Amino acid sequence: MRPALTLAAQERRFALALLAPALLALLLVTTVPLVYLAWNSLNRIDLGMPWMSGFAGLDNYAQMGSDPRFWNSLWLTLVYTASTVVLQVLIGLGLALLVLQIPKGQGVLRVGAILPIVLAPVVVGLFWRTLVLAPDVGLVDVATRALGLGSHNWLGDPQLALISVIAIHTWQWTPFAFLVLLATLSTLPGDIYEAARLDRAGAWQRFRHITLPLIRPAVVMVVILRTMTALSAFAAIFAATGGGPGSATEILNLYAYRTSFTELNIGYGSSLAMVLLGITMAVSWLMFRLRKARS
Amino acid sequence: MNDRLPSTDPSSAARRRLLRQGAALGAAGLAAPWLAGAAHAQEADLAPYRSAKINWRQVEGESIAVAVIPASYFDHLGTLLPQFEALTGIKVRIEKVPPGQIRQKATLDLSSRTGTYGTHAADPMYYPLYVANKWVDPLDRYLDDASLTDPAWFRYDDILKAWRDADSIGGKPYGIPYDGEVTVQVYRKDLYDAKGLKPAATLDELVANAKALHDPANRLYGLALRGFAGAGQNMYIYPSLLKGFGGGWFRGKDVVVNSPEAVQALEWYVNTLSQYAPPAVRNWNWPDIADAFSQGTLGCYIDAHSSAAVITNPEKSKVAGKIGYARWPKGPRDKCVTSIWNWGFPINAALPEKAKKATWLFITWATSAETQARTSWKSAGAAKRSGINRLSLWKSPEFADAMKGAGDNFIQAALDSLEQDTDVEWRPRVPQWPAIGETLATGIQAALVGQKKPKAALDEAQARIAQLMKG
Repeated sequence: MRPALTLAAQERRFALALLAPALLALLLVTTVPLVYLAWNSLNRIDLGMPWMSGFAGLDNYAQMGSDPRFWNSLWLTLVYTASTVVLQVLIGLGLALLVLQIPKGQGVLRVGAILPIVLAPVVVGLFWRTLVLAPDVGLVDVATRALGLGSHNWLGDPQLALISVIAIHTWQWTPFAFLVLLATLSTLPGDIYEAARLDRAGAWQRFRHITLPLIRPAVVMVVILRTMTALSAFAAIFAATGGGPGSATEILNLYAYRTSFTELNIGYGSSLAMVLLGITMAVSWLMFRLRKARS
Repeated sequence: MNDRLPSTDPSSAARRRLLRQGAALGAAGLAAPWLAGAAHAQEADLAPYRSAKINWRQVEGESIAVAVIPASYFDHLGTLLPQFEALTGIKVRIEKVPPGQIRQKATLDLSSRTGTYGTHAADPMYYPLYVANKWVDPLDRYLDDASLTDPAWFRYDDILKAWRDADSIGGKPYGIPYDGEVTVQVYRKDLYDAKGLKPAATLDELVANAKALHDPANRLYGLALRGFAGAGQNMYIYPSLLKGFGGGWFRGKDVVVNSPEAVQALEWYVNTLSQYAPPAVRNWNWPDIADAFSQGTLGCYIDAHSSAAVITNPEKSKVAGKIGYARWPKGPRDKCVTSIWNWGFPINAALPEKAKKATWLFITWATSAETQARTSWKSAGAAKRSGINRLSLWKSPEFADAMKGAGDNFIQAALDSLEQDTDVEWRPRVPQWPAIGETLATGIQAALVGQKKPKAALDEAQARIAQLMKG
């Protein structure tokens, strides 16, 4: 006789039944394609050489070792992610501290800050490519020429192109860091600062020893979220440079795309995508652990 | 008066009904004579097609989808579709896909065998890929079938040989060319005449001409060539240079892209662009070049003859009436080599038999001499299509008349190029072309922007291509 247990079990079963459609849909649209991707990465699927197709084990992964373009794209992914995240946090925090001093009109600034975030990355990429960075007519070029720094081929020069795509990403996503940090900063209790001032702590000391420790959870959260976005960035770069010139802005995501859909080597492209997936998961796991350990 | 309940107001409802009836009557009144006129005109329109000894209505009621790029020459075809539907009873849905995506979309459709598109505007370099995967039908069986093709009427051999060859594999046709182009020299006749220059016969002369005109301080650059990366961008110019320098693509069965001739050709490309072209040229595709030329900032460029439509448009071009054309300059090995580009129509092998027949009827209709003329000089609008697919039409007085605004020596330069300067192995025709073209394009751009030396860029491309082709 287990009436209570049956009731609980029944309830659980009922809950499961209610959840099932959602879970099933989720399984179909996320897990199944992912498993298919993983399976593809273990096969040789090169539409240019259909006669070679077949199971290849870990060959695709082994091939990466001697593929300079893979290492180049991995390095670029690292540079791109690290620099955009650092810039976003620094600029976002700086802006938030500045705006906090403004007594009126913060609301307008907040609304204005949201605008880049709500734009589709493709639109941002095209917008920068055609209106901001185009030689001769772009805003930046007009500005540098007016300042006597000369006209530059912002997206056509390998180094400048990398800097440009980093600037584009930073421009679009800094407002996110700004808004989160501004919200956090405005909740900090004023009495601590008053006490610090009575103890004659300078502005830097107050920032270093009071503000930073208090907002650290928010900063860590911003870093985690921004890192994941930066690792999976695609559309803005695709629209602005297509990974070029040459392979100067070809981060791993773009390399996987080009391999799969331009070169039609689906197997190798899948394995590249799997590597990116692995890196993203590892990095976020590490960061979440870091966060737990510290707090 | 109750504003919130307009439906209870009888006068308003009655008025609306009246309006609706009035509008319907008006529409009918307008449409009726137009319909009668259209039906009448169509009988005459269809006569040239009915002279073909085939049954155009054999698969009446079929419907097919066709993917093309958004371009005026396909738009003209679209406006003629009602004639095709009246002739055959086949419904055709035209879908426009941007040129950057049409290869991917077609490949996706063909590889998944969904049979979405009966045919599509195909890149000639993709036939080896299509054929290796058996995604498209060989067309000889349609051409040789008397119930589907009347050879005396269709005259397949009248289609330009270079383009037929480009759309054939192993002697078998897999696509029928609809529209094409050749790359030619386009130069400012007024500036050349003022300095006593002649259109270049050799690459050295081309550089000398560019040097004579080059004056960046006054916003005049010597020349421009496509520099943007892509199998259809810088790899649209470089193959002609390679062949001009005496290079080839194959050593035995292997694709080799870093031969000494290849390095020389790329060095010439890099040096010439860095010395005499606008700095942004490395990011330019043909529309950018045509725009710069229209603004009078270029002395010369080498690109598709069809770009004439842009630079001779008096509304947008400052140089209309001052333009001349010539064949590609010869390279050191005394060879001119032009492009062999055309948009052709293959037949999707995944279609059911009846849909294949419908698709074939569409293809013969679109590529026939009559439709070609109707989409060119017989079409409405100022800019007439210049990429017609038949030798007889190229030599016709009507075409000459339609093209007389293009500039000096236009038809002759293009036709000479088409007849004498083509080479079917202009680019390496192998199934792996999509990967090879992309790899080379990336390498060439790296050299053009100075990221790598030409030799290093080609060596790297070679290493990657060897890896790609490895069995």
